Amino acid sequence: MKEKKSPAPPEKTPRWAEGAYEKAGTGEGLSTTPHITPLFSFSRIGIIAGNTFMHLMRMKIFYFLLVFVLIWLGLNIFKLPHTAGPESVGAEELRLLKAPLVGTMKLFAIIIGIVATALLIPRDVEDRTLYTILAKPVPRLDYLLGKLFGVLLLILAGLFVMTLLLDAVLAYRTQIILSDFEQVGRVLVEQQQWSQKDFDGAKVELLSHGVTWSLQAAILVIFFEAAIIAALALLVSTFSTSTLFTVVISTLVYFIGNFIADGLDHFRSSSGIGEGTLNELAAKVLFAPFPDYRPFKISDEVIAGQIFPPDILGSLALSTGLYVGLYVVLSWFIFTRKEI
Amino acid sequence: MSDTPAVQVKSLVKDFRGAFGRGMIRAVNDVSFEIASGEVYGLIGPNGSGKSTTMKALLGLVTPTAGICSIFGRDSTKVDSRQEVGFLPENPYFYKHLSGEETIRFYGKLCGMKGAVLRERTLELLKLVGLEDARKRRLGGYSKGMLQRIGLAQALVQDPRLLILDEPTAGVDPIGSRQIRDLIFKLKDRGFTVFLCSHLLEQVQEVCDRVGIIHKGSLVREGRLDDLIAIEDQTEIVLRNATPELLKRIHALAANEEGVELVRSGNPRTTLERLFLRETIQRDSGKLNPVQAIWEQREGDSK
Ligand SMILES: Nc1ncnc2c1ncn2[C@@H]1O[C@H](COP(=O)(O)OP(=O)(O)OP(=O)(O)O)[C@@H](O)[C@H]1O
Ligand SMILES: [Mg+2]
Repeated sequence: MKEKKSPAPPEKTPRWAEGAYEKAGTGEGLSTTPHITPLFSFSRIGIIAGNTFMHLMRMKIFYFLLVFVLIWLGLNIFKLPHTAGPESVGAEELRLLKAPLVGTMKLFAIIIGIVATALLIPRDVEDRTLYTILAKPVPRLDYLLGKLFGVLLLILAGLFVMTLLLDAVLAYRTQIILSDFEQVGRVLVEQQQWSQKDFDGAKVELLSHGVTWSLQAAILVIFFEAAIIAALALLVSTFSTSTLFTVVISTLVYFIGNFIADGLDHFRSSSGIGEGTLNELAAKVLFAPFPDYRPFKISDEVIAGQIFPPDILGSLALSTGLYVGLYVVLSWFIFTRKEI
Repeated sequence: MSDTPAVQVKSLVKDFRGAFGRGMIRAVNDVSFEIASGEVYGLIGPNGSGKSTTMKALLGLVTPTAGICSIFGRDSTKVDSRQEVGFLPENPYFYKHLSGEETIRFYGKLCGMKGAVLRERTLELLKLVGLEDARKRRLGGYSKGMLQRIGLAQALVQDPRLLILDEPTAGVDPIGSRQIRDLIFKLKDRGFTVFLCSHLLEQVQEVCDRVGIIHKGSLVREGRLDDLIAIEDQTEIVLRNATPELLKRIHALAANEEGVELVRSGNPRTTLERLFLRETIQRDSGKLNPVQAIWEQREGDSK
């Protein structure tokens, strides 16, 4: 019974208690950690982002959306009759297939961007997980960026999977339509209703509705848009007191932003005045807090068959970066002053 | 190293604004104290007296309205001060989607740990808090006491020199709370500084070197525990196998002495806690050696 009196038998608490702390006493153990915490550490942001990503993955909503999309894709493969028509019918069919699918992808990206972001921080506050995270040497900026990047990672992963499916479905349909088109087209050329040039032109037109780089770029632009809206939701969630409020406000801002995009265009074309006028300036100032979605409309046009101008991608990426940066800095500003 | 106090709180004031800026609440009112390196300090006080708020200010989780807090000489409002502190919040809730093991790894990584060191540390800590068997389970399925244990493990992950424990034994069963008490003793032996608050005064009395009593935000009493609780004019005698005759003689002796009064005599009672321990340990004796040892030691002492 005597030997039982030692507070813990050695096999119960091995080196953790015995070795590690003795080392700590001589300055070998923990004190080797550097004492300056960098404000901004990619690995720390990566850890938080990874955790956020896993958190969202383990919530059922993502799977639900994926299943939803899968069903949609399945329906599209079997439902649409492929009518071998002349000229633009094939292209039209591809467009009809593409538009709702890309629409679903966009919906997914926007919904996850708003809802997931809106959910995360209030939940950490409510569950007090935030206490334990910020009680570690974690700057608040890293925390915010980690959360945002986690959501973006999820959107990116979701979009990636869906793009693969979309491309596969689209390539398959294009193949079928193309072979039909070539049969019909050759007959038309033989009957001299079409010149060879007509045939080639129609074929190019048809292929431009298939799997193209323009389409991939358009999806990337959807991701940009979702990134902006997620950063905006992050900003709102730093001062809002409920998830619902964040979701409603972020959605409103998104719609207003889109509305303004249409409105400003309309305004400019109807009044026929240049960019620099006072009215437009006033409108710009008034709507400054709302992201300007006009350049992002390009993705809709690409779906409609337009070719994506490659030089635009850089500037879109830049303005996405600027919006996200602006919202993150504002969030940080509010978040550091927040009582948690 | 031992010159700088582990914790310094100077004239800390914390006001909370009510809803819409109305109804200011002063949660902490001009509190000052220091905790020397290696000390176990207990903060006690009624509900809502400002214990948790003081701890949060010390960790930089709330910004002080006035005053300064520092940990090992580093200002609490700076992230660097958090390098050497482990914190267990009251009612800790962690990510429910993580398993116990993943939780500790996550917090370890946040502190910049990785690889084999982290893997080993995680297993050691799980063993230490007795959650090895539950390490693959998600925290969503953990009981309150298990969460408290994982919280403690998480606080220890980067080998901090200071531990801040907000009610470490809340919701933990008597055996577990003994184990936590033993752990605090062990940490103290190894030179840790512990700052804790608890409503279990018996435990505070057992583990703390110094205590502060906080009431409505003000520190009303502070000092070495022994000084605070000693009843200087009373002496205790505990006898074994005393015959009724001997007791009678002692009573008579006391009665004859000028100015001496016999306050009470009788059999020392075991506490409910001890009774609980005895009952539960008999059912599960092999597993909880340290606690049993302590209990048996006690039993031997008081028989
Ligand atoms: N975030 C907050 N907003 C407003 N008031 C707060 C906030 N946090 C604490 N308070 C108030 O500050 C006071 C002190 O609270 P605190 O949590 O520090 O008490 P405590 O001593 O830890 O109590 P307990 O023993 O119940 O844990 C309380 O009156 C509480 O209502
Ligand atoms: Mg409290």
